[in-house]
Amino acid sequence: MMPSSPFLCVITDETLSPLSLAEQALKGGAAMIQLRHKHASGSQLFSWAVAIRKLCQQHQALCIINDRVDIAMASQADGVHLGQQDMPIKAARKLLGQDRIIGVSASSIKEAMQAKKDGANYIGFGHIFPTASKDKEYAPLGPETLRQAAAHISLPIVAIGGISLENAASLISLGASAVAVISAVSRANDPTLAAHNLLCAIQKSRS
Amino acid sequence: MNSNRTTTVTLPRIYFVSSGEESADKGKLLLNQLTRLPRSLPCMVQIREKKLSAKELLTLALKAREIELPEGTLLLMNERLDLALAAGLDGVHLPENACSAKLLRPLAPKLIYGCSVHSFSALRIVEEAGADYLLFGPVFDTPSKRVYGAPQGLEKLGTICKKTSLPVFALGGITPKNAALCMAKGAYGIAALSLFQESCRFADTIEELYFNMNL
Repeated sequence: MMPSSPFLCVITDETLSPLSLAEQALKGGAAMIQLRHKHASGSQLFSWAVAIRKLCQQHQALCIINDRVDIAMASQADGVHLGQQDMPIKAARKLLGQDRIIGVSASSIKEAMQAKKDGANYIGFGHIFPTASKDKEYAPLGPETLRQAAAHISLPIVAIGGISLENAASLISLGASAVAVISAVSRANDPTLAAHNLLCAIQKSRS
Repeated sequence: MNSNRTTTVTLPRIYFVSSGEESADKGKLLLNQLTRLPRSLPCMVQIREKKLSAKELLTLALKAREIELPEGTLLLMNERLDLALAAGLDGVHLPENACSAKLLRPLAPKLIYGCSVHSFSALRIVEEAGADYLLFGPVFDTPSKRVYGAPQGLEKLGTICKKTSLPVFALGGITPKNAALCMAKGAYGIAALSLFQESCRFADTIEELYFNMNL
């Protein structure tokens, strides 16, 4: 099931080896790794998923697969993360059953409420701040929208987009259950230390 | 070979792969073609629309499933078992670099698992993985595969067919004129993509192919 909050989710970086990144992030205390690699082949994704799931088990963390419900099923990952253009939540739930986690990306409160209604287990909400990790067609949502989403929706909200050591704690204070990062960990000189520092920051914020 | 299928179905001899060239089209051409399949000729139909999102693919597959198709027609999804299951399709077609049929079959034992092969080493791998049929090509020259080099040729098709007991569909540059050559080399059936793009002659082309296969 979902980790106790506040927690850190690290999403793999398209341009780096997901395995070493996952391992370093887990050592730093990440409680969730999301395997996201839009251009990898199915066989490659499957091998990564199996290896990352094993690493996650060793660290009592969750292995979540982006988009590919089939790969999540075959690798027995803990769940999937679905974007608005991916398989609809209800269809994915039928395939995965009640025990697997389904996270859903939402960029508005309306989308987040719909995702809750459709049976999502958590909401990836963003992007909160400007981010270079993904091409975005819309402006950042900002912390205030995050606060409203957390107030309205009784699901764990994972804040994503432009999150750094400087702003992570404030988002937890506003009601996020977790923060998700790519570059803040993957592009750090020491990804383990970066993950560790992020985790310390968000855990302090709520105590 | 070591197929674990719990039900046996007769695979149709003509295999139609959707082109997926136009993302704006959202698979409308495919849906239109499905309504025009000759009534007496079942086909294998692979939904392969690389430009569509998973959500759009599922919508397309569900629409395709609703169409009344010639008896024995099988609908397959390219690579994505999850989408095939969600739409109630008959199987999946796995490219050479896809997740193995051996790993997927336990998740859905009743589905058909087809595999692309381009080499003898790939043939051994997919036989071991328990494929239900093979797609081999490109046999002849075809514009869409020119970047990968010369076509594999009829002789190699013949060797592949001799080396396996699995049904082999010949793919790549197939026309009603050369279909019989593939069948003479031991192919179980023929598969095509661009051949079916000339929309107005779609049904005629299938009938012509079938006639020329000398079954």
